[in-house]
Amino acid sequence: MSNNLHQSGVKLLRLLGRNAELVMDAYLNGSVDEQNLEPAAVNKLTESGILWRPEPNEPLRLSRNVRALLEDGLKDERNRQINANVGSALATIKTIAGHYREARASVDYSAAEAYLADLSEQVYSFTESLRYSVRVLWGRINNEFGYVGSLSAKIRENELAQSQVTDLLNGLEMFEFAELSELAGDIRELRRLLVTSLQETLTNCAQELSVVQSRLLELLGRFRQIQGRTRLLKGWLLFTDLHPEYEVADHVAHKQVPVLFNQAEALLAPAAADVNNIHHEADLMQVVASIRTISREQQALPVAEPSVVEVGATEEFDIPDNPLKQAVEQYFCAVIESGQNQSALDYLSEQGLPWDRESWIFQVIGGFEGLSEEHKQFFALEPLGHEHEIYDGNFIIQDVEIGLR
Amino acid sequence: MSEIIATGELIERLLRGEFICRTTFEDGWRALKSPATLDKVENYLNQINRTVAQAAEGEVFFAGYVNLGDNERKVISAQFREICQSLIPLVEWLVLVQEASGQDAPLSQGAPVRLTELQTRIEDTPAFREQLAKLSQYRLFGSSASSVDGQIKLVFKRLVDLGYLVKPNPEKQIFIATGKLDYLYEVIRFIDETESLSLEAQAETATQRELI
Repeated sequence: MSNNLHQSGVKLLRLLGRNAELVMDAYLNGSVDEQNLEPAAVNKLTESGILWRPEPNEPLRLSRNVRALLEDGLKDERNRQINANVGSALATIKTIAGHYREARASVDYSAAEAYLADLSEQVYSFTESLRYSVRVLWGRINNEFGYVGSLSAKIRENELAQSQVTDLLNGLEMFEFAELSELAGDIRELRRLLVTSLQETLTNCAQELSVVQSRLLELLGRFRQIQGRTRLLKGWLLFTDLHPEYEVADHVAHKQVPVLFNQAEALLAPAAADVNNIHHEADLMQVVASIRTISREQQALPVAEPSVVEVGATEEFDIPDNPLKQAVEQYFCAVIESGQNQSALDYLSEQGLPWDRESWIFQVIGGFEGLSEEHKQFFALEPLGHEHEIYDGNFIIQDVEIGLR
Repeated sequence: MSEIIATGELIERLLRGEFICRTTFEDGWRALKSPATLDKVENYLNQINRTVAQAAEGEVFFAGYVNLGDNERKVISAQFREICQSLIPLVEWLVLVQEASGQDAPLSQGAPVRLTELQTRIEDTPAFREQLAKLSQYRLFGSSASSVDGQIKLVFKRLVDLGYLVKPNPEKQIFIATGKLDYLYEVIRFIDETESLSLEAQAETATQRELI
């Protein structure tokens, strides 16, 4: 028999595989367009329970189980089916546990083994479906019901999810572990399945569900707030359209001004740079370095009126030589003529020249330094003076002597 | 040192009349959320008759007055008048953005607006174009441009100047709504509640009538 079952199962899966395209189309569109299909294929699919027809004139649809398989396998977020029917699962589990106890008591081990396998299957599929439900709910919360477009649809989805959570929690309350533990008695396998494994899962799920519930409420509050804002804006426009003469009442004229409108005047101007703060030196230098001279004034000046410019021969002009400089030249010439060393101050007094002694000496030194290298070679300049009495290395020049080399 | 700079900037911006929110100045906003810094800033502001005021459930902070003398009242009245005058243009703009971008929620703090996308949608829909042309001519925006491009750019620029939007990257035409918009909702809600206008109910009935 199990061989038969195996074969027909493989056949069914093959059938699904062969019609994969069709099944997926049906999954996405909701129904099958029979006109483009071969009647034989449709018949086969209908007979094996993959497709079914809800009403005589309705198009064919995917059966619930195949749909659930796909939703689960594809992690499709539109899937909002939650099996909240805890009661029937509980009843089934209790019934099979009763069968198992009876079979054990009558020492029918093969029957007992079969019942135990069945029972494990029931318990595990129940806990799995519970976990799955929680996962689906989380999925919906995490993408904030992204599979529906409008905000009001989100709110309705949220309300649906909340009612499902409530149903699940109510269902979980039906589990009474005292009763289950009595049913399990001292049979180790039963205790493991009915008490340990179930209890652990149920406690986890109940905890998670209460978190889910609070998150859903929070989300609902946010949706409502957003919806409230939209309505507020629309309502405001409607109202001002209907009452064009409307003016907002003077809410700040009261003695107690609402906090909302108590807004101080902007008063702060930027602080000035403190050039004496050495910490700022580098920054300020950078600021200064980046300043470019932009003279807007020049641009603003009106262009001067054109005027006639006469272009004639340049007048001859002379820059008269400085008499002091000429006198120094005379002094050099006198030295060359006499061939004798002569002090500058002596020359000054001999010739009875009118210049100040100090400026005369400076001009003489300057004149000597100003000679070209070629002419400089003929002369020697000897400073005359004395060391400073107190400070070493300071030589005070009182006179200079020019001579020929 | 860095703490001084942080609270310094915070106080400075508050005194400049800015609204501090997570979008405009996240560090400052966080600092104000901590009671210690809030106390410090509050103490400082109290010396010049200012206080840290908050709105939208602590999402925005701004500087208010501690004591209201005649001068302060004058300032508040002027500001109140200003915000009342800008309510209609701003609400029209918010509704336009919401409808043109096909969103459920009106703009609120942190929501991005892609200007080029919005502009294309408005240009493609005559009704939106009309709405934009109408609202850009309000005194708040004061546009005299005839093209959608000119109108929308000016409106957005004004909104950035007024502190309702920020433009994080000058190269990109992406704007982010600030907490001042949340403040605006609160103002409308306040007016609605105090004057019992029941705006939400009116909008609700209007939508239901449309559905029928």
